[in-house]
Order: sequence, then C-alpha cells, then structure tokens
Amino acid sequence: MPSTSAALTPGLASFLKSLKTNPIDTSIDDLISLLKRRQIRHSRSCATATAYLLRSVISATRTSDANKMIERVQHVGRRVMAAQPREMVVGNIVRRVLGLIRDEAEDDREADFTLSEAGSESQPQTPRALDDPSEVLSSRHEGSDRSSSRQPFTSLSATPISMFSLLSHPEPESSLPGTPASASPSGRLLGQSHNKDIRAEVLDGINEIIDELGQVDDQIAAYALEHIHSNEIILTHTSSTTVQKFLLKAAAKRKFTVIHAESYPNNHEATHATVSGQAPKDDDILSTEAFQKPLIALGITVILIPDSAVFALMSRVNKVILGTHSVLANGGLVAAAGTRVIARAAKVHQTPVVVVSGVYKLSPVYPFDFDSLIEYGDVSKVIGYEDGDLVDQIDVQNPLYDYVPAELVDLYITNLGGHAPSYLYRIVSDHYRKEDINV
Amino acid sequence: MGPKQKGGAAKRGNATEEVEETLQAVVLADTFETRFEPFTLEKPRCLLPLANTPLIEYTLEFLANAGVEDVFLYGGAHSDQLEKYINASKWRAPSSPFKQLTFLKSTSTSVGDVMRDLDGKHLITGDFIVVSGDVISNLPIEGALTKHRARREADKNAIMTMILREAGRNHRTKSSSVSPVFVIDPTKDRCLHYEEIDHHSPESSRLNIDAELITTHQEIDLRQDLIDCNIDICTPDVLSLWSDSFDYQTPRKQFLYGVLKDYELNGKTIHTHIVKDHYAARVRNLKAYDAVSKDVISRWAYPLCPDTNLLRGHNYELRKGSLYQEQGVTLARSCVIGRRTVIGQGTSIGDKTTVKNTVLGRDCKIGKNVTLDGAYIWDGAVIGDGTTVNQAIVADRAVVGKNCTIEPGSLISFGVEIADGVKVSDGRRITTAYREEDDEVPASEPEVVGEGGKGYEYVPYDDDEDEDETASNASSGLIYNMANLSLSTESISTLSSEISEFGRSRSGSFSTTMSDDEDQDHFVHDAAASVYDSLRDGVTSDVVQLELVSLRMTANASDHQVRRAVVSAFMKRIQQLMDGGKGASEAIREIFGKYKEIVERSLFDRDSDEKPDQVDLLVLLQQDLAHRSRGDTVMLFTAKELYDLEIVEEEAYEQWWSDERSSSTEEMRQVRSQSQQFVDWLANAEEEESSEEEESDEDDE
Repeated sequence: MPSTSAALTPGLASFLKSLKTNPIDTSIDDLISLLKRRQIRHSRSCATATAYLLRSVISATRTSDANKMIERVQHVGRRVMAAQPREMVVGNIVRRVLGLIRDEAEDDREADFTLSEAGSESQPQTPRALDDPSEVLSSRHEGSDRSSSRQPFTSLSATPISMFSLLSHPEPESSLPGTPASASPSGRLLGQSHNKDIRAEVLDGINEIIDELGQVDDQIAAYALEHIHSNEIILTHTSSTTVQKFLLKAAAKRKFTVIHAESYPNNHEATHATVSGQAPKDDDILSTEAFQKPLIALGITVILIPDSAVFALMSRVNKVILGTHSVLANGGLVAAAGTRVIARAAKVHQTPVVVVSGVYKLSPVYPFDFDSLIEYGDVSKVIGYEDGDLVDQIDVQNPLYDYVPAELVDLYITNLGGHAPSYLYRIVSDHYRKEDINV
Repeated sequence: MGPKQKGGAAKRGNATEEVEETLQAVVLADTFETRFEPFTLEKPRCLLPLANTPLIEYTLEFLANAGVEDVFLYGGAHSDQLEKYINASKWRAPSSPFKQLTFLKSTSTSVGDVMRDLDGKHLITGDFIVVSGDVISNLPIEGALTKHRARREADKNAIMTMILREAGRNHRTKSSSVSPVFVIDPTKDRCLHYEEIDHHSPESSRLNIDAELITTHQEIDLRQDLIDCNIDICTPDVLSLWSDSFDYQTPRKQFLYGVLKDYELNGKTIHTHIVKDHYAARVRNLKAYDAVSKDVISRWAYPLCPDTNLLRGHNYELRKGSLYQEQGVTLARSCVIGRRTVIGQGTSIGDKTTVKNTVLGRDCKIGKNVTLDGAYIWDGAVIGDGTTVNQAIVADRAVVGKNCTIEPGSLISFGVEIADGVKVSDGRRITTAYREEDDEVPASEPEVVGEGGKGYEYVPYDDDEDEDETASNASSGLIYNMANLSLSTESISTLSSEISEFGRSRSGSFSTTMSDDEDQDHFVHDAAASVYDSLRDGVTSDVVQLELVSLRMTANASDHQVRRAVVSAFMKRIQQLMDGGKGASEAIREIFGKYKEIVERSLFDRDSDEKPDQVDLLVLLQQDLAHRSRGDTVMLFTAKELYDLEIVEEEAYEQWWSDERSSSTEEMRQVRSQSQQFVDWLANAEEEESSEEEESDEDDE
C-alpha cells in the first residue's frame, strides 16, 4: 500500500517520468510549481530536474541557431529560477547550459574560420592546440579555455593565450587523472566537431552535466584518503550524502571517529537515519543511498550529539567536514542552519574546516544581501502549532540555511580537487561565462 | 543541507507506477453560510484574498500537493465569477497538476444538496477527498489515505476518514464560539460520537453520550482540542448515505452526527486521522480569516507563504521581520513598516505612516501620517492622510477619506467611500451592494459614511427574530476582533444563528429544543411524508426502511408513532392509486406486497400470545381510514392482504375485533363493518384448521 500512495505525491521521480510524455511547456510549468511547493528540494534534485528539463527544451527547439537557443534557455531559465530563487543550483545549471551553447556557437564559427584559414596556414590556431592534450579530454576545461578564447579572433595571437593558459592551468589537474570526471571524455577531439549540429553538441554537453551530477559524490570521495587520517576525530553535521560517501571512502582504509551533530529541528530525523543506517523513508532518496551501509557498519565510531554540544567538543576535534547547500563566488557558503555555529566554533579552536561540494553547487553569486539567500522554513518545527497561546504571542523564525563567510572555511573539496576559498572565483569564471551571470 | 538524492530518479518512477488509483476531490466552493457578509454579497467567498492570494488557490494547491488528479468544483453563489476565475487560472492550463477540473454549477442551498447532486451525477469512481474551498493546509495526505485504504480493505463499512489537526485549549485558529467535540476510540481511531458545544447558549454545554459507548469500548477519548478543517477522505458509500438521508444539510452537525448515531442500523464507521504536525485550517469565519492570515504570514503554513508566489505574476520577497514585499512598491522615506506585513505591487505609502501586522493589496494608496495596525487592505483601496485603521478590513476599491478613524472589527466592503473625518465605529459593516431583498441598492447613509460618502450600513435581513439579528450583527465584529473574544465572553457567532435557521427550515425534525409532543407530531408528519414520497417514487423498501429508522432514531420516536406514520403514508398512497383508477384490492396488493417489510419491521409481537403491536396497527388503519372515502372496503382488503402476507396473525384479528378502541365511535364501527365477514371467516377457518390439526394428530398416532 505505501508504494501506491507514494506514487501519488509529485516529486522528482514523477517529474522525470512525466517529462518524457508531456509537452515541453507543461513540463516547465510543472517544474516551476514543484519547486514552489518544495516538492523538489535539495541541491542535487533541483540540479538534476533542471538539467533534464533543459535537455528537453533544447531537443524540442527546432532551430540550430545558437542565438535563438540562448534566448529560449534564458527565458525558461529565468522562470524556473524565479520559482525558488534560493535554490541557486537551478541558476547554476541554466548558466552552464547557456555557456555550453555559446561555446558551441563559437566553436562553430571558429571552425569555419579555421577551415577557411586552413588552406593558407599549416596549423589551426585554436587555443586548445596550445594546451595540454589531457585537458582537451576534460569537457569542463574545454569550456574553460574556450571562455578565454571568446575574444575576437584577431586577438588570438599566441602570447596572451599561452600566458593565460599557464595561469588557468589548475594545479590539482594533474593530481586527478584517475577520477571519473577526467575519465569521461566527450570524445570530441579537435576538428571533429566542425560540421556537427550545434543542437546535438549542446545535448551531449547537457548529458555530460547530468552524468557529472550522478558521479560527483564519488569523484569527491576519491580525495578522502588525502584528508582523513587514522585516529582523527572528524565532526560533521546533517545528513549529506556527499559527506557520507567521503567518510565511507576513508573508512574503508582507516579508522577514525566521527562526531555527528544532529541539526535539529529541520533535518535531525534524516541525520539519525544516516547515522543508524536505517534507510530513510524519503522517496526522493534513490536506491543507491538506500542500500548504503552506515559508517558504523565499517567499524567507525559515530557519536551523535545535539547541536548545542558542538562548542564543547570542538577542542577534541581534528577536522570539521561539512556539506553545503550552495557555494558562493566569494568562497562563502549557504548551508544547513547550524553550520555557521560549527564553523565559528572551529575557528575559535583553530580546527580546520573542510567543505565538500560538487562544482555544480558553486554559484557565481556574490552575497551582497545574504539574508535574501536564506530560506525561512516551517515554524512549527520550532514550537508546536498546538500551543495556541505561544502561537498567538510570539514570532518564531526557522531559518533553513546559514550563511558562512569565506574566512571561516579553510578548504573546499570539489570534484576538481581541493581549493582555497579565495580561489573559487577562478572556478566560477571557468564554469560560467560573464554574460550569463545575470541570466 | 546536503544533497540526498541521486541522479537516477527515473528508475524509481517505474517501480511505483503500477496500481495508481485516480484520486478525486470535491471542492465545495460555497459553504452556504453567511459569515463573510457583506463581502460575499458581491464576491464568492473563496475568491476573497488571504494574504493577497484568493482562498481557492490555497485549497487547490493543497489538493495538488496531495496528488489529486480529478477535481470537481462546486460553485454556489456568484458561481459565474468563480468559473471565470478558474478558467483563467493556472489550474486550467495544460500544465495543471489536475488531469481534470470540472466546474459544476448547482442550485444547491446546502452541502447536503451538493452531495446528493454529486451522487446523482455518478462522477465519483473511488475514494475521494471532500474539502471546502477555504482550506489552507500543507499536510501531505498520503498517510491518512493509506490508513483509510487499509481500513477499507479490512472493513467495507469504514466509509470516511476525517483529518483533524491537534491544537491546544486556546488557539486562535480554532473556532471559539462553537467547539466540536469528538468522542474517539483511540485504539481504532474510530469516531464514536460527535457533538457541537455552543459556548453561547447557556443550557447546551452538556454532552450527551450514549451509555453504551462507554460500556462497550475499553478506551474512549473525548476531544475538544481539535481543529476540524473539514478535510474528509470518503468512499463512494458516503454519497449514497447522503442520498438516503435526504434531510441532512451540514456535513458535521447532521451527517456525521446522524451516521454515528445510526451505527446500529447501518453499521458504517467513521474514522479520524489526527495530525500533530503540519498545518491545516479552514477560514470558516472572519476571526479565522484573521488567524489564518497571521499563520500564513508567520510561515506556519510553509511552503504556502506569500513569497512562494502561488499566483502567476506575484513576486513577493521575504525581508527581515516577516515583511513580504513585491517589486514596485513606493515607500516614503519616513514611513515605518513594522513586522508581519505584506505589501503588494504598485502600493504607495506616504510620509510618517506606520504600518504593522497589515496586509496591503496591490495598487493601494496610503496617505501621510496614517496608522495601520492589524488591517487588511485589499487591492486598490485608498486611505487618506491622517487616518487610523485598526483591525479592520477595507475591501477592493474602497476609499477612506482623510482623518478618519476605523475602529476594530469594521468591515468596509467593495467600493465604499467614506468621507473625510468620519469615525466608523466598532463592528460596523458598510457596503454598497445591491440587495436582493429590497431589489435595489439602498441609498447611502450620510450618518454612516459622512457627507458625500457612498455606502450604507449592512444589516442582514435574516428571517431571524430581532434578538438573533442584533446578536449576529454584533458578532461579525466581535468574531473578527480577537482581543475581545475569548471562550467566556458573551459574543455570539453567526454560526448559532445559522444552526437555528436550519432547525427551523427543516420542520424541526432535528431540533432538540421543542417539547416532546410537538417533536413527535413532527416525527409522524415528517416520516409519513418521507415514506409517502418514497412509495410514490417507487424507491425500494430497504431504502424506505433506512430512512424511516434514521428518522425514528433522531426523533427518538416510539414504535406506535412509526406505525402511525407508516399507516398514514400507505393509506394515502393507496387512496391515490385508487383515485387513479385502480381497484382497491389491486392497489393494496401492490403497495403492501412491495413494502411488506416496512410494516413487518414495525411489529415486534410475533412470538408472543398478546398481539398489542398488530392490534395497534389495525386500530391505526381503522382510524386512518375513518376519514377516507370507501374506508370500509379498503379496510377489508387491507385486513385480508395483511393476513395473506402473514404480517398480521389470526389471534391479532380476534384481539382487534374485541378491542374496545376498534368500536369506540360510530365512524370506527362504520369502517370495520365490512371486515366483519373476514373476521368471521377467519374464526371459522381457525376452527377448521384446529380440527384438521387434531385429525392429523390422530392420524399420526
């Protein structure tokens, strides 16, 4: 019986299912109302839904004119982003898709250009030719250097590009050849894309984004052993799968202790479930997570503590590992309520704070007004609605997120590797194009 | 908050798609009450804005959340406006979460009529949800639905599940004038008894619970702390019950009460689902309007908040201190905007104005030095300089002049204009609406709205006596003004007047205030009318029986009265058939043959020697026929038919014949004269029979 009723409730699963059959405008409105009703929430679900929606949008457009495609995606993107502006990943995905289209369009033009020039010149002067060939394989970095090459072709002379690529060559790049991200080459080698349909290229690109969303946790987890050492005491917070996978990966090889703050009142049930390993009854949680072993099954000591005990225990903690809702361009982050307290306590005790987050959560937004980034949730989780006298007399606020300023974070680990908060702006400019920052 | 989902959601979708029963919902857009007057004179209630969003949006949003696919929307008053609104709304768009949204117009005047109409239309195929068009809830319904289905699987008679929200003793969202009391068996979540306690009538603060309930159930809960948000999950049986009980009007006070009372008879059980978290409330009156507005603004109903922007084109943003503001608001530099305020697009607020706890619609113009506290100012209203509005509603396009004072509880309806310097005193209701009763728009009353103003004071023309009128008049203000109202105050809600209206309109068959005699006469009259109607319409005897028993139980009528009612109905029908050209015997055979059980079920002396019930029946027949033409003939045939059908036994005829009642008057003797031969024949037959029996006994030996 429960499975039947669960199917009734709209959510990510029902959206993805209906996406195949519904006309595109219906799907757009559908996603908007799902976001508004908070039936799709959490960064990953939002990102996945947006990526699938935009894929359908692109495949439904009958044009291969890049400008029209951009217009269309912008239009859809604006509406979807307005539905729940605090789910910033929606905007991130829209921006990345826009960037993809622009890249492909420029590629195309460039290709024409190089083809026409090819007759006279022996070697095409595309910037990628100057780059490390391994970088060509990584789809994201293709984007990055193309973004540097979007200047008119006249400025394509070798010097500025090579200087720039020296700088833009991210240091951790060499350290992750084994990770799936770089191991998922698009196969688009130079020269092959010339006569391809832009639309098909863009669709490929979106599929890569979708793949990335599926793999990001494992990619991040690949760095776990570099950061978690034997006999360390790690403090974490809320039920983030990214963090859990990260810890699990390390737990396979090393023994350490995890202190888990429960993040009452908004997420404590999920936290308890994560700690005890009972598959949470959330239907959006997908099968892989449901079968995931808890840390305790691997012999790790996990101590569940109330949020208020964080400061007291911080002096014993070696490292704080946090998940996040989204990461902002200045290195600050918006994460589950309670994160700031933890980060602050860690600062006082000089404990390193490590934030694990997929690149898709990285948003080109600067927190000029961070209040507006914080979602205020259901008040009844704080005090019971049945307490009539209190309900009438007092104002209660239940923020779902905290803003954590960049100076409280020591290290970010994304699927691209570890970065200092001050370096994030660089990744932002790699992933999003300037003209798309305001969609 | 960490990500919890993985990319492969589509896989899951397939696994769960197998048995999906379409969930249907019925929205009662009109609840047939007058509690929102004078606003409802011009606009359907479910289109009144709550935090600048029409009420119906919240309800449909709730249904969409619940995964409902078919929605039947019943419009009542101003259904054309509602239909227009719905047709233009997102719910009609192809992206609507509802596969089907049917707008049904009806001429119903009560919830009961709507349900019976629905039953007649055969639209409902499975379990369905009934909500009124003013429910605001963020409750995921699947828990209740699963339990309901499980119960129904186990027991076909579990016909309904009511969703109730737990709330404390005092709660702003609870109805304070009438509190529903649920008697619940907590082990089975079964509702055993329901009653409404009216806090204002001195004598009824008692609860009458059948002693049997207490003795037969191990555990019972008596609960008064529940918010009844009128969300019911029903099986189609509920509709047929409504149809059977043709006089039920209200879903709780009559339907629920009645069905629970008749448990012995029809065996139907009604269950409760009490929720302890999530928000569920109904905007049942203006006080609730105030409370629910506050709840929505303070995010109790999250995600149903202004900044969710349920309506297309809304763009509210949440600022610090529960301040919701749309784009394009003009605020003067020196104005003060306090907490819990909603400001719509295009509204301008002048210098040194203070606004708090207030909802301002779109395109309002608020002057300088205005004080707004706890006010609800709807779209396009204008408030002049220096005016104070305190806990009042100013509806669309109303204009309040300069230096006015609007006191708490005032309701200023659509398009009213209040001149400068007028004081609108406590609880006044001012409108410009066209009045059906007077067939015109009454002239403006300068003493109310000032010189040059527009509007008159609204006084409901209920058929109530004066006392009621003043009470309900005073009440809407009181109801609205929280501060003056607590459980103990003497304010009277309009609900009480509504109930008494029902009592009167339905010939008092439900009313408990009438004296016994009167009550019983009413019972006989009602029951006879009901049975007669059924006979005429050819309804099956089961249904007639059901109606009769429920009537009997509600009126606590004696068996004698039931027989009286049955006899008079039968005889009237037979008379009518005979007038229509049928022969007496034919008519009698038709009626008694078909409805034999009804008569049978009113007799309880089959196994005893004394036959008082059967004699009583015959006497009643005799009495009834005494006033009818050809009474004697009918009496004869009826007696014979009753004998043939084995309803009345020989002994009864003997006892009847010798009963002094049957020969008390000349008329009575006249009626039974023709039956003489039948009784004689009976006596002979009996003798023969007995001798035969003797003979056969002998044979056996």
